[in-house]
Amino acid sequence: MPENTASPENTALPEDTAAGGAGTARRTLRLGVAGPVGTGKSSLIATLCRELSGELSMAVVTNDIYTDEDARFLRSAGVLAEERIRAVETGACPHTAIRDDITANLDAVEDMEEEFAPVDLILVESGGDNLTATFSPALIDAQIFCLDVAGGGDVARKGGPGIGGADLLIVNKSDLAPHVGVDVEQMVADAEKARDGRPVLALSRTDADSVARLCSWVREVLAAHLSGAHTPQDPGPMAPHSHGPEDAGHGHGHGHGH
Amino acid sequence: MEGGTGALGALLLADARLPVGGHAHSATLEAALEAGMPAERIPDYIRARLATVARTEAAAAVAALRAARGEPVDFGPVQAALAARTPSAPLREASAALGRGLARLARRVAAGHPAVRALDTAGRAVPGLRVLRPVALGALGAAFGMTAEQTARASLYDDVQTVTAAALKLRPGDPLAAVDRLLAAAPRIEEVVREAAATATPHDIPACSAPLIDHWAGAHAHTTRRLFVA
Ligand SMILES: Nc1nc2c(ncn2[C@@H]2O[C@H](COP(=O)(O)OP(=O)(O)OP(=O)(O)O)[C@@H](O)[C@H]2O)c(=O)[nH]1
Ligand SMILES: [Mg+2]
Repeated sequence: MPENTASPENTALPEDTAAGGAGTARRTLRLGVAGPVGTGKSSLIATLCRELSGELSMAVVTNDIYTDEDARFLRSAGVLAEERIRAVETGACPHTAIRDDITANLDAVEDMEEEFAPVDLILVESGGDNLTATFSPALIDAQIFCLDVAGGGDVARKGGPGIGGADLLIVNKSDLAPHVGVDVEQMVADAEKARDGRPVLALSRTDADSVARLCSWVREVLAAHLSGAHTPQDPGPMAPHSHGPEDAGHGHGHGHGH
Repeated sequence: MEGGTGALGALLLADARLPVGGHAHSATLEAALEAGMPAERIPDYIRARLATVARTEAAAAVAALRAARGEPVDFGPVQAALAARTPSAPLREASAALGRGLARLARRVAAGHPAVRALDTAGRAVPGLRVLRPVALGALGAAFGMTAEQTARASLYDDVQTVTAAALKLRPGDPLAAVDRLLAAAPRIEEVVREAAATATPHDIPACSAPLIDHWAGAHAHTTRRLFVA
C-alpha cells in the first residue's frame, strides 16, 4: 500500500469504530460491481464516473487479481480524480475479498469516505471471478452483477447467486450481440425469469439510452438509501429458485441453502 | 468474553478463516520469490523469520498482553517499541493493516473490555501509524483470557502459516507438503514461544529485524504486479 506510507498529513488517523459495516445510517451508498472476467465491470464504472461525477461525490475501489491494472485503467480514463481510485490486493482470492473476509475492502472504503467526506457514491469493483462471487451485505449496500453477450446467451438462464439475486443484472456489450449470435431480448427475458422481477438492463457504452437507464437506476437506489427505504440484500450462496406464484413472497437467497 | 474462551480464542486467532484480512498477506514471501529466492528454500525462509521478525512480533504480542492487564491499559510503549524495531516502512504498514482488521474484530466481539477500548488510543504513540498486529493480538488475547504462551504461539503460527499458504498460491505444490513445513518448524516455534512468554516489558522485546526481508518488502511496495499486500 504505497499510497499511505509517506504522507505526513495522516498523523491523525481516525479511530475505527465498531459500527463500520454497511446497513448503518450513513450518507455514502456503497455499490458493488461483480461479474465474470472481462464482462465490462471497469468500463461500466468508468461510464458511471463520467456521467455522475458532476452531480455526485464519488470514489472507486478496485479488486485486482494480479495487478493494479483496473485502477490504472480508471485513472487513465480521466473520469475521476486519481486519488479517489484505490486498488486492494486480494491474495489471489477475489471471491474471499468481497465476501468471506472483506477487511481490505472495508478499510479502503472507510478511508475514502473519511478522506473525501462527504462521499455520495463508492463503487467497488470485484476482481473478475466466476458466477458464484457476490458481495457481502456487510461491505456494500447494493450490487450490480455484470454479464456480457459475448459470454453466450445461455449464461443468464443457467443462473447463479449474482444473476438471480443482485440488485441489478447487466447484460453488457449489447452492441456485440449480432456478431456473437446472441438474441439480447431473449437473454434479458431469461434473466428476468431467474430474478423474480428484479431489474435487468441490456447495456452498451455506445447506446446512450441504455447508459441513461443505468444512471437513473443508480440515482433511484441512492435516493432509497438516503431515505432509509433501501435494505442491503444478500444474493446468498445459491440463486433463489421459483416454484410458482405461491412462492412469490419468500425472502431471496435464504432458506434455499444446500 | 473472559473466562472460558482462552483455549477457543487461541484456535480462533490461528484460524485462516478469521476474517481479519490475513489472506491478502504473504509475510514477504511473494517479494522473496520475486527477488529470486528459490522455492526449495522456503523452509529456510520460515526458519529465518522465526529467528528474526517473527520472534520480535511474538515478544511484542506478549508485552501487549501484559500491558492489557495494567490499570489503566496503555499500549503506547509496546506500540512504540515495536515500531522502532520494525525498520521497514512497508512492513510497518502491513502490520498496521493486519492490526486494523484484528482491532475491528475485537471491537465487534469484546467492545467493552478495557484492553479493547485501549486500542482506540494505542495508535497515538507513533503518529501516522495504526495499531500494529501484535498489539491488537495482545489485546484480543487478553479479551479471550489467553495465556502468554497461547498468545505467542498464535502469533508465530500465523507467521509460518502465512508463508506456507502464500507459497501454495505463488509456487503451486502439494498442499500436504505445506503442513509438513509447519510441523518441521514446530521445535523452533516452541523454543520461541518459551522465550517470548518471558517478555515482561516493552524494553525486553528483542530487536531482531532481517535486513534482506526489509529490502525485499521495500521493493515489493513499488511493484505493480502483486498478489499480496506484503
Ligand atoms: N463492444 C463493447 N465492448 C465493451 C463494452 N464495455 C466494455 N467493453 C470491452 O470489454 C473488454 C473488457 O472490459 P473491462 O471493462 O475491462 O471488463 P472487466 O469486467 O472490468 O474486466 P476484468 O476486470 O478483467 O474482469 C474491454 O476490451 C472493453 O473495451 C461495450 O459496451 N461494448
Ligand atoms: Mg475490471
